[in-house]
Amino acid sequence: MTTETRAATSAQPSRLLSALRTQEGVLFLVLVVIVIVLSLLSDRFLTVNNLLNQTRLFTETALLALPMTLIIISGGIDLSVGSMLAWSAVMLGFSWQLLGLPLPLAVVVCLLTGAIGGAINGALIAYVRVPPLIATLATLAIYRGFSFGISQARSARGFPEEFAFWGQGQVGPFPTQFLILVVLIVAMHLLLARTGFGRWVYAIGNNELAARYSGIPVERVKFTLYTLSGLMAGLAAFIFTSRVTTTRADAATGLELDVIAAVVLGGTSIFGGSGSIIGTMLGLVIITLLRNGLLLTGVKGDATFMVIGLVLIAAVLINNLVRRR
Amino acid sequence: MKLTSLNRSLALLVFASVVAAACAAPPPAAQQPAQQPAQQQEAAQQPAEQLPPGWKAGIPKNPPDRKGKKLVIRDVPKLIGIGYFAATTKGMEEAARELGNIDFKTDAPTEAKIEKQIEFIDNFITQGVDVILFAANDPVAIAPVLKKALDQGIIVVGYDADAQEDARQFFVNQATFEAIGQALIEDMVSQVGPDAEVAIVTSSLTAPNQNRWIEEMKKYAAAKYPNLKFVVTLPSEEDQQLAFKATQDIMKTYPNVKGVFGLSSVAFPGAADAVKQAGKCGQIAVVGLSTPNQMRPFVKEGCVKSVILWNPIDLGYAAVYAARAIADGELKPGATSLKAGRLGELKVNGSEILLGPPFIFNKDNIDNFDF
Repeated sequence: MTTETRAATSAQPSRLLSALRTQEGVLFLVLVVIVIVLSLLSDRFLTVNNLLNQTRLFTETALLALPMTLIIISGGIDLSVGSMLAWSAVMLGFSWQLLGLPLPLAVVVCLLTGAIGGAINGALIAYVRVPPLIATLATLAIYRGFSFGISQARSARGFPEEFAFWGQGQVGPFPTQFLILVVLIVAMHLLLARTGFGRWVYAIGNNELAARYSGIPVERVKFTLYTLSGLMAGLAAFIFTSRVTTTRADAATGLELDVIAAVVLGGTSIFGGSGSIIGTMLGLVIITLLRNGLLLTGVKGDATFMVIGLVLIAAVLINNLVRRR
Repeated sequence: MKLTSLNRSLALLVFASVVAAACAAPPPAAQQPAQQPAQQQEAAQQPAEQLPPGWKAGIPKNPPDRKGKKLVIRDVPKLIGIGYFAATTKGMEEAARELGNIDFKTDAPTEAKIEKQIEFIDNFITQGVDVILFAANDPVAIAPVLKKALDQGIIVVGYDADAQEDARQFFVNQATFEAIGQALIEDMVSQVGPDAEVAIVTSSLTAPNQNRWIEEMKKYAAAKYPNLKFVVTLPSEEDQQLAFKATQDIMKTYPNVKGVFGLSSVAFPGAADAVKQAGKCGQIAVVGLSTPNQMRPFVKEGCVKSVILWNPIDLGYAAVYAARAIADGELKPGATSLKAGRLGELKVNGSEILLGPPFIFNKDNIDNFDF
């Protein structure tokens, strides 16, 4: 493949081939290979039902991966997303069941909780100047503590049936949450790739000092990013609660690692400065389909982890190789 | 320029929150998953004649004829990699071997996380397995995915930790409150005789399981051993130190006490330790509920004669026999017993299969278990 690519580029670089040489192009090829292999291994894999069903399972991770992409591009990280999700979910259950708020209002509380959690992160990082890794590692523990403290390790349950629409229902053939996700992917992609705000995010990730001197409101941008991350965690909590019909303080433990893995596999530099929403989504789809496909083929769960780890490394290697040429 | 781009990004933010807020509004009725009521109706109509009155458990929809055919069974415990569920798997494999014609495998998350467990079950549904066995991490959260399995004609049997009743067909109940209560009393009486003073160290005074056990113990003792006298019940609040202290207090305040019940995996070792340190091993019997690993040292030293719990190997074994019997049409709603290989006939109460009397771990068998 590489020789072909080289031959083609030396002659007349066609648009298709140059597109394939981008980060996203490489990922897309990896995805195609994975899909072909898995569909040969299991006849249940490449079916509309299975694929649509997978979107149900990965929406929450995807929602968190959207702002995480921006944050990592800006040179930061948010480890607290799983805890913010749990805290928001617990607040949803708490305000509905214990405080007796109507359910729509409880959902607003859920979203607000996420946004507040994110804003606290943002304030710590942007204004108090705590390094993102440390700030969000701390709030990871604190928000998880809130979840257990507020819920007293009890779960809220017994949500009305129509509440299941957001996590279990569908619109036409599509799972409800998948449609919400698609809208937000488009919005986030436009925000990052087409607006000045997006350019600021890249600029901060490339060189924060230079960004500051060129008049970019670095603090405000960072604060916005982390708040957005919290808001998304609140939204993910709402969909999660609707999907599993209960709110638990231990929900989404360790989810931050899945999210970060998808972003990094998607080609976003962990040192900041480069990356894209499309790449992140490809990364997430690759991980999800691998896990799903391997399970369907009968590979045991623990072996699946290893394969995913290997693919992560391989994808990064291929990426480096292709981009160096 | 700067201002406009900030405005634009703010606008996008607002847009995102509007989308989110729109999600919060209750959906119009027309958008409801339309097939759901229809499905329920169908499910209710179809097997209605055969169902005994008051049957609340689930029924697979249009299951294929599986009588005598090869079964693909997948077991999804709370988690894998711990002794307890390794033991249930061992029992399941044993049953699968005995029955033959079964493709059996256990696979589950490595942490007891409900969202991962749902994902495993969901994938097994897609795979088109015949049977899903489960031990639920959360009885409510697991229900939707189990109902989906039932809707696709898959046999769903729980063990160890149940789901909502309507989300599975049968549940293998490892120990009823009644059976545990009886076993505790019988074991105590065998050590201290029927005319002794006994005390209880429980977890907290409001713990529902413990209170049910105490209730059953007292009920059984009143009927069979009226001279067994319960002098006091002290809490230990899931704290081994507190259990230790409570037992010391009991020995001081009630010098005639001949036996102490330790009713949690913390209260039992705490009580045993207090008796041991007082040098009263053999004079005061300690009987209770805990796991073999927790009590092994006390059992080896002889300070505790027996540990009461259930046998997870038998539990897994019975679950696979139940699945086979459902597939063969032998275990149906209304059935009152299940033939389960070496376990003999197990009693079926409604949609619950009773594993029978609890298992007693003692010096001779405790090393066969690691959980």
